[in-house]
Amino acid sequence: MKKYMVKLLGGEKHQMLRISLFAIVVSLIFGVVVLLIIGNNPFASYLNLLQGSGLAPKRSYAGRKNMFTDFMNLLDALTPMIFASLAVTVALKGGLFNIGVSGMMLAAGFAATVTVGYSSLFAGAAKPLVLIIGIISGALVGALIGWLKYRFNINEVVSSIMLNYILMYVFTFFINSYYVDPVSRQSTNINDAARLTIVDFKAFGLKFDIPLAFPLAIIVAILIRFIMDKTTIGFEIKAVGLSRTAANYAGISIGRNIMLTMILSGALAGLAGVTYFCGYVGSIQPGVVPSMGFNAIAVALLGCSEPIGCIYASFLITIISNGSIYMSSQQGVEIEIADLITAFILIFSACSEYIRMYVSKAAMELNTAGEKKGGAQA
Amino acid sequence: MIDTIIIDGLTFALPMFIMAVGGIFSEKSGITNLAVEGLQGFGAFTGALVMVIMMNSMGNGTQVPYYMSFVAAALGGMLYALVHVILCVKFNGNQVISGVVVNILAMSLTSFLTRRINADFFGQTSNKFILETSIRFDVPVLSGIPVLGAAFTSVYPFEILIIVVAIIAWYVMYRTPYGMHLRACGDNPHAADAAGIDVKKVRTVAVVLSGGLSAIGGMSYAYSISANFSPDIYLGFGYLAIAALIFGNWSILPTLGACLLFGFARSSGQAIIQKLGMPSTFNDLVRTLPYVVTLLLLVFFSKNNRSPRALGEIYDKGKR
Repeated sequence: MKKYMVKLLGGEKHQMLRISLFAIVVSLIFGVVVLLIIGNNPFASYLNLLQGSGLAPKRSYAGRKNMFTDFMNLLDALTPMIFASLAVTVALKGGLFNIGVSGMMLAAGFAATVTVGYSSLFAGAAKPLVLIIGIISGALVGALIGWLKYRFNINEVVSSIMLNYILMYVFTFFINSYYVDPVSRQSTNINDAARLTIVDFKAFGLKFDIPLAFPLAIIVAILIRFIMDKTTIGFEIKAVGLSRTAANYAGISIGRNIMLTMILSGALAGLAGVTYFCGYVGSIQPGVVPSMGFNAIAVALLGCSEPIGCIYASFLITIISNGSIYMSSQQGVEIEIADLITAFILIFSACSEYIRMYVSKAAMELNTAGEKKGGAQA
Repeated sequence: MIDTIIIDGLTFALPMFIMAVGGIFSEKSGITNLAVEGLQGFGAFTGALVMVIMMNSMGNGTQVPYYMSFVAAALGGMLYALVHVILCVKFNGNQVISGVVVNILAMSLTSFLTRRINADFFGQTSNKFILETSIRFDVPVLSGIPVLGAAFTSVYPFEILIIVVAIIAWYVMYRTPYGMHLRACGDNPHAADAAGIDVKKVRTVAVVLSGGLSAIGGMSYAYSISANFSPDIYLGFGYLAIAALIFGNWSILPTLGACLLFGFARSSGQAIIQKLGMPSTFNDLVRTLPYVVTLLLLVFFSKNNRSPRALGEIYDKGKR
């Protein structure tokens, strides 16, 4: 057992990646067990997840829908998730834990909705403006958290949780007072010109959604990777994240870098906010802190806190959450099971550090045992 | 009007207080506990489940299920706290991350189980356990005092329970050897270890106790806010309890003050809105008060704030 663990997960090369994959596989096996216990066919259920996400063909489709339209829907949900997990990743690199992604998303979504979303601007101006407003408002919230951290030494976890709820309740008040749609009980849908997703685009005899910001998400992920690995800014952020005293000794300004990290993280969370509220859904539900901000923490961990890893991890988690609707309608299983599997992936990725230590310890034991054996033979 | 402010304020503040005491137990031992939110939810789930089962088998009219639900909630919370223990104490994981993950798991696990149990055992599709409405009573004599008597009027039984448990918790923390060890583990685990204290064991017990205490708070909210258990229990009161304990400087009595401040800020805000005849949407603005107050006070007092010195640090025996 130990031997196989070491063989599978030991060694330096791509170790974090392999541990992440290990976490995913164990969680999926766990999901199989749960599905068996409640009397469902696990493989059919997992196939449904893929079918619901447009990665496998369904048996039948409604008019003007096929696998491609489902896949576009997946990309639409994936876009904000990539941004949100990047926001968490950047903060983690700087040694900060950004649990305020949800609040930043709300701030960006709300600001963009009330300024551009309800205006009569034409699409060419409205869409970039939504993105810019999203970036700015997210960055402002991030800057506030960073400032509280370095000026008053307030733990960023505490201040972000406070801000999450403050922002949520304030926006709930404004939505319920001025912008509520009496039928859906959500904010009125924003104008199509400002929306970052083209809804029900008709082409090739199909009707599908086009997430305009998806290419941007990929570009930004690559850009973040470049900034972190190849530039002085990234180096300084990482240095502060690894050891504040060492960075300070090397003459790197702690305060400036904490601010910078949070502003960057906030800007990314803002992009997540506008692509979610002004793209994927098009309205804001009052009284709810979006759970995506919390799931993004998990996704970032699963992606080994690496920008490119975030893309893959987001992809996986979005498949599970997006496909679960189809799965529950086909198998009659509760939709919550998807969240359960996701939660278990998170639990196992939170153990990744322990698994790494366990494996290296086991490898050392095996090595010494092997040496003793070799010595006896000689 | 002052009566309602006092009554509603206490109903809100006391469950939050017991959750915060739970958080203090964990944090004083050196384990950051963002998991309070999940612990209270899971506790409320087990409590509500036992309540529903007992109500079905015993019928109405007795108070036994009501008290049993609190016992069950505490046990459930303690059991669930073991997840946090395994991740932080056994596996040396990052405590903040573990807390968040434990919360996410609690949310998905309880909503899944609630739906499943409702479907399998009670034959209904619902994500709720409907609870019997809690009785409320007036304390004789004391409730007759003018103004302050309101604190003893239409009291939930759980408020008495919380006060009793909190006194015991205070005694354990400050007057017993275990409490002494617990605080030592949070400030200087290596010294505690050198004195022969098993740091991991003390921390394990602390986090488990924290689960039980948080769960009592969660169960109380299940009764007082909506008289049912549903995923709506995850309103963020667990996080607010953490704010309260930080604001209370990780000591039990100042934390009670913080919770009362939150409770009265909330209830008086609501009362003022009602009095002025403003639309009920303004309630959402009032709900920000505890959070805004916390942030502002942290700005002014964070210099005096002294968290346990080893809070959040992974205990590594070999480190000096």
